[in-house]
Amino acid sequence: MRVCVIYPKSSSKKVITKEEWEKKLSEVKIRKEDMNKLVMNFLVTEGYVEAAEKFQMESGTQPDIDLGTITDRMAVRKAVQCGQVEDAIEKVNDLNPEILDTNPQLFFHLQQQRLIELIRSGQVEEALEFAQEELAPRGEENHAFLEELERTVALLAFEDTANCPVGELLDISQRQKTASELNAAILTSQSHEKDPKLPSLLKMLIWAQNQLDEKASYPRINDLVNATLEEPVT
Amino acid sequence: MQRRVGGGGDGEMEEEEEEEEAPTHLNTSTCGHFLVISTDKLCAKYTGEGLHGNDVGAIQGNRPAPCRRLLYYFEMTVKDRGFKGCTTIGFTDDHFRNSRQPGWEPNTYGYHGDDGKLYHGQGKADSFGPTFSTGDTVGAGINYGAQEIFFTKNGKLVGGTFNDVKTPLYPTIGLHSPNEKVEVNFGQRPFAYDVEAQLKKERERRRKAVENVPLSPNVNHSIVRSYLLHFGYHDTLAAFDAANGGSFPPMLFTPHEYGNGTLDNDMFALDQRKMLRRLVRDGNIDGVFAKLREWYPQQLQQQQEHCSNIIFLLHCQKFIELVKLGMLEAAVTYARTELAPFFGSSPDQDLHLQDCLALLAYERPHETPMAYLLHFGYSELVADAINAFVLSTNPSLPASGKSPQSGLEKLLQQLTACLAEKRVLNGGQGEVFSLHRILQGGKEGGW
Repeated sequence: MRVCVIYPKSSSKKVITKEEWEKKLSEVKIRKEDMNKLVMNFLVTEGYVEAAEKFQMESGTQPDIDLGTITDRMAVRKAVQCGQVEDAIEKVNDLNPEILDTNPQLFFHLQQQRLIELIRSGQVEEALEFAQEELAPRGEENHAFLEELERTVALLAFEDTANCPVGELLDISQRQKTASELNAAILTSQSHEKDPKLPSLLKMLIWAQNQLDEKASYPRINDLVNATLEEPVT
Repeated sequence: MQRRVGGGGDGEMEEEEEEEEAPTHLNTSTCGHFLVISTDKLCAKYTGEGLHGNDVGAIQGNRPAPCRRLLYYFEMTVKDRGFKGCTTIGFTDDHFRNSRQPGWEPNTYGYHGDDGKLYHGQGKADSFGPTFSTGDTVGAGINYGAQEIFFTKNGKLVGGTFNDVKTPLYPTIGLHSPNEKVEVNFGQRPFAYDVEAQLKKERERRRKAVENVPLSPNVNHSIVRSYLLHFGYHDTLAAFDAANGGSFPPMLFTPHEYGNGTLDNDMFALDQRKMLRRLVRDGNIDGVFAKLREWYPQQLQQQQEHCSNIIFLLHCQKFIELVKLGMLEAAVTYARTELAPFFGSSPDQDLHLQDCLALLAYERPHETPMAYLLHFGYSELVADAINAFVLSTNPSLPASGKSPQSGLEKLLQQLTACLAEKRVLNGGQGEVFSLHRILQGGKEGGW
């Protein structure tokens, strides 16, 4: 696309005092039920089943998906987090076989995790067999998969896996990564947005403040947890 | 405590901004002598001679481009290039001169068919894109999100100019040689250019910009936790903490123990608030009165003197509970003794009283506009008011007279205020932010 001209923006900023700003804030009405919805959405998407049930009772807020499905999803996630990948695969196929069918990358990552667990438990022969039979064919179809496969198999070459270049694969965070990917796929398949809205809104707040900084001086909120208004920077 | 007048509760508090109307046809009242316009006001034909710089036939749309959105776009098809193909598409402002091409005057923009250049009020033009002629469809748009004016030809983007877009801008076309004829499209027909795709791209660009903002993962948990604490949702909090592997310490009734941080303030009198919320939920308003008198006799006295909310709300709620149980005679008696004294002290309270009393008039109150009073959501609000009352008795709070707010509410207010201020400073451009619509799942709760 051809761009013609860029004009510099004017540099004088509007100054808003703390008093004026607090008045503007007080005119913004946030509905309680909207906040309740936001919290419920968070509890549900992050998988806090019991908390969601209690919140439903205590606040009367309806969860946006069937709480029963959360339990199933959490069971799958937990299985991966504990390294029981085969179990997780079985469970997710019980839930909905299409999830893995339509998600080759996810399926590859789950198989990769299985391989990692075999290597972790020292079952070298089984690991090699598994890699050759299950993962190598996938690697042939897809270059990125092949690279991942090679990285994973490289684990076998090191005795001191904690300090080797691919040691991070054995880290808990790798399990978390796989678990999150699976969690997101299940949520998407249930037509539920995979991300809770609260973090997006918080990021939007930071973004909006950064944008407004260009044109005005006003009290910011820098500490999100305590939500305290700072003095405007002149 | 928000007052609901007559038509009741769930959702009529939305302040609908006035619908912005878009241009629909050419504005014949400001066009000049050198054009003849069709009866449907969508076609223009040049009738001048095209001899000099002041016999252009230019015409604007009947309204300015709406700006409470991310994009505005319209198109023009050249039916006949006439002698010299000087047809132009672009935007002009309120100082429109109908004998000058869009782009020649300051704060106007024009993509000219004869030389393919972009004029934007600077005198000389920049070489820009292809020329266009008979049979071509060109388009002009404003991208408020990116602050740019852009042009298309036959469904393909040609380019644009970045600028501080100063609204209002009117879609404008110009003709300048004999026999030139064009037809405009303000959306009554599908466009040649895929504007929807561009709109999607713009939304995606903003979404990505926001997603890339770094946010510490613990922040969400802290905010949710502090919300649950603030409103006294004790059981939820216990379950939340348990799931997070933390232990939930039981709180004792010692209001003077807590420090000044927001989290400490949120923990104030948690047991009391939990109990009061449960009593309201169970419809046991007498229980609420008893506990309040036991724990906060002084503050309650102050409330009474200011004829204030809590006492009033609780009496109304007791009345409502009696109605729910079908004990209408008891409800009437209660109204006579406890509600009647409140009449006349405040117009808001009077309206609320009317709504409550109206419940008596119907056999099936659940099917009337007053039904919202009988829903759980309404008793939630009463519980929230009591919760706020108890929080306000916290001695370590500064004496500002404002009722304490949850952190989440303050953050959402800040977000709304910042986006609103940004729009104001941008001349009112851009979509109006609506938290409510975002939560309903709309993609256009916009920002």
